[in-house]
Amino acid sequence: MTKPTINTGLKLILILLFLAPHLCAYNQQKPVYKFQHDDSLLKTSYFKEASDQQKKLISSLDKEFKDDYKYIYESRFKEVSGLLQSNRAVTDPVAHQYLQSILKKITDVNPELKTLQVRLVFSRDWWPNAYSMGEGTLAVNAGLMINLNNEAELVFVLCHELAHFYLDHSNKAIRKNVEALNSAAFKAEMKRISKQEYNAGKQLDSLVSLVSYGFRRHSRDNEAEADRYAFAFMKRTGYDCNGILTCLRLLDKIDESNFSKPLVLEQVFNFDDYPFKKKWIQKESMIFGQMGNDDSPLAQKEKDSLKTHPDCENRIAFLTDSIRAVEAGKIFIVNEPYFNQLKKDFLVEMTEQLYRDKNLSRNLYYCLLMLQDKENLQFAIYSIARGLNLAYESQKDHRLGMIVGKEGREYAADYNLLLRMFDKIRLNEIADLNNFFCRYYQVLMTGYEGFEEEYSKARKFKTQ
Amino acid sequence: MKKLLLAVVIMTIATASYAQTYTFQNIRKTSHRSSDAIKEGTDVKGYYFFNVTDKIDKNTNEYTLSIFDNNLKVLKEIKFQDSKDISILESSFNGTDLIFLFYNSDAKTFEYQIYGADGKKKSYSYTRQLTKKEKRYLESTYLAVNDDEKTYKGLYPIDGRGFISNMPSREDKDYTFQVDYFSTEKKKQWTFTPTEGGKKFSGDYLGYFNGTVYFEVLRFSGAFDQKPDSYIIGLDLETGKQVFEKPTDAKYRFYPASLSVLNDGKAYIYGEYFDLNDNIAKDKSKGFAFWGIDEKGKILGEKYNSWDLELGKFLDVNSKGKITDFGYMFLHNMVQTSDGSIYAIGEGYKKVASALGIAATLLTRNSNISTIKVKVTDMMMIKFDKDFNVKEAKIYDKNSNSVELQSGYDFVSGPLIAKMIKYYYGEFDYSYTQINKDLSSFTVCYSDYVRGKDYKGSTFNSISYNEGKITTDRINTKSNASRSWVLPAKLGQVLIIEYFKKDKQLEMHLEKLN
Repeated sequence: MTKPTINTGLKLILILLFLAPHLCAYNQQKPVYKFQHDDSLLKTSYFKEASDQQKKLISSLDKEFKDDYKYIYESRFKEVSGLLQSNRAVTDPVAHQYLQSILKKITDVNPELKTLQVRLVFSRDWWPNAYSMGEGTLAVNAGLMINLNNEAELVFVLCHELAHFYLDHSNKAIRKNVEALNSAAFKAEMKRISKQEYNAGKQLDSLVSLVSYGFRRHSRDNEAEADRYAFAFMKRTGYDCNGILTCLRLLDKIDESNFSKPLVLEQVFNFDDYPFKKKWIQKESMIFGQMGNDDSPLAQKEKDSLKTHPDCENRIAFLTDSIRAVEAGKIFIVNEPYFNQLKKDFLVEMTEQLYRDKNLSRNLYYCLLMLQDKENLQFAIYSIARGLNLAYESQKDHRLGMIVGKEGREYAADYNLLLRMFDKIRLNEIADLNNFFCRYYQVLMTGYEGFEEEYSKARKFKTQ
Repeated sequence: MKKLLLAVVIMTIATASYAQTYTFQNIRKTSHRSSDAIKEGTDVKGYYFFNVTDKIDKNTNEYTLSIFDNNLKVLKEIKFQDSKDISILESSFNGTDLIFLFYNSDAKTFEYQIYGADGKKKSYSYTRQLTKKEKRYLESTYLAVNDDEKTYKGLYPIDGRGFISNMPSREDKDYTFQVDYFSTEKKKQWTFTPTEGGKKFSGDYLGYFNGTVYFEVLRFSGAFDQKPDSYIIGLDLETGKQVFEKPTDAKYRFYPASLSVLNDGKAYIYGEYFDLNDNIAKDKSKGFAFWGIDEKGKILGEKYNSWDLELGKFLDVNSKGKITDFGYMFLHNMVQTSDGSIYAIGEGYKKVASALGIAATLLTRNSNISTIKVKVTDMMMIKFDKDFNVKEAKIYDKNSNSVELQSGYDFVSGPLIAKMIKYYYGEFDYSYTQINKDLSSFTVCYSDYVRGKDYKGSTFNSISYNEGKITTDRINTKSNASRSWVLPAKLGQVLIIEYFKKDKQLEMHLEKLN
């Protein structure tokens, strides 16, 4: 699968790279929700395996461009460690075994994959994606899993990531790009530009565009190749290859909303004694307010590039004929009931992980959707009460901005409304809202661990 | 550069960001002038950052104008080539269109460029060629002042239709002001410059109501005229023609500061008033006045609240308008809320002896330090009801700071010194006031310095009104940054900008006020 696409310029990429470690800082607060039981031995063994591999890789580096390779490989390993050493990775024996069973279905019929040293895990991350780190670690995020319809779609996702790893795309790209950046031609061009008194910026921009275009084009070629190989791997498994098309269609729309209906804030935060205030989500005049309405091909291209999974339409078109030519298989082979149960569990796991990662706006978004759909109701109510209290405390200390996002064109409309509400709601209104919220659900929540504590906090804040 | 490209190589391991911070890398120098908030009235709708990104030849630069929305999301990056002598002086937003005023100091031209709601630059722009005299006058007035409230600046938005500009101007020996209207519906402009009946004019934009643009004008018969005529003029928005001229001398000499349209759809102007024979540059004001006015200039009602009578009930005010410990009040702004209440926001000041000035005078005959200094004291907010009766007055404590003055100010009146402190020294702590469109909340912001046990350093403070409740808040702004400053943000928020010289990094983050 493709990674979150960030196309707002090279500066932003650097910023994200600098911000990412801070944003994922783990919250030490004692959790009331209990995660699935993770297998710490498995985690340790996966981490040790990855760590040994990393040491071997670094020690085997040639002198040539050693610093550049080291910089990239260490950055990559930091991400791998972040996954395997935190509670983001799901190693609950049942869930893990289920994933390995599906992996086995693929490797059993594709002998070329058997020799690969793969560490495949589910992760509790919210963003709808799966990825191969290029050194053997593969992950399927809970945010993707909750959207998939069947095992066939999951098999395509795994085949695609296995293809990237089998074809060594990540390492080949690193080598190609490091060599390009250290080539005599590139260095000479850099030296020439640095001596220019005029137009140096323009020439440098052109050079950066040329090089990064090469990176991007290479990356798109890799995606297409991974799709082709994924199809070849999948058609031998007995799973229905139409799952490729349904999965890609799903990925194309995945940023819009994960639930049957969008979140309606006016309903979930409306109480007889404390009606919803329309001003919380009132739209204001915006600079370039009509820019998003531009339907020109260029604007459509820009909108597509903002998606978590761009270019899906082309990927569908590229594979459709080949898929139609093969016999339809099954959409479930390993365990249909468990697949469906896992989706439900992962929604809660992912939502709780968001709270621990201090991504409060996303955490509340999923909790409110669950409340609206009456799914995992008590967990949702408790989490909303807890989240609103955290919002109050953070706003009081002028830190709410660090845990709540801001509206953006890349987000679903209902999520943007929640962000707008957090942008406008006053401190005393958060306290009032939570107080009425807790009071409304008090009877239903009788005996739910932690709820009374949050309600009492909300009452205290209201009087401050 | 190489690191940046290596970062592209490993971009595949980047995770999505959700915090509302933005960081610029590789910033070697920072300047207030190259960035500013884009406002629609008092409400911040976005920010611009204007930087030289390349040198094209010895006379030409490449510029990048980056426009962000008020959530710090990039809306547009515009690259263009122009003379090395251009800068951006102002920007404004009228609900649909965005305007920038570019100044070319070498060619002595102003150019107003407009961007539409679709993000595209309009095919037309407005230009103004300055004479040498105009340029010199503007350099000592408009171009010299850069206070937060943009006192001498103004590109006032007319909702969805255009912008009114007000700028000091000079015609031969007459010093005056120039009002321009720039339509954003189609290319259409008019100019109004008062020159008759006086040698010097100053004009303050009051507001817009029912097709009429209101200005408060002071007309001086000569350079040393201490008692200028004060009057209000109304200009037709369509034609720029003067609709009325109304003297503000009635029962008292009225000096309106602003115009608001109340819930009943009538326009009211309000500000301080003086005795008819008073010199408004020197004498103390008598209190606050409110006039109802229609679009033809007809006065519909008058109300006066004096310091010693009506305001004295709520504050310890002596007959000279001085409030014990607080000193005199300098009026910064007045706002009106949806229930009709009007709030006057002011800051205290008083003249005190300067030990430094006295010592300098004793030691050297030609000391250029005055023997008096000004102590800037607390903030004050006065509430009036919709019938303009005083309902409440409250002082908000802050640390006082002293302003040493140049010699010659020993016998100058308090109000004149206050104006000098505001416009010349920039030493008042008040920053700005913002009110939202439906008038349900407003925020007054000011800076302070705290010497406490837990914190010692600069603070940014607010007095907020929301649906009838007043709250105060404080943000400690001292940080590890080499430089930091606060820009206005959307209502109830501030944008803190921090420059880290060592890392050549500029960080911006939005913070909500409580």
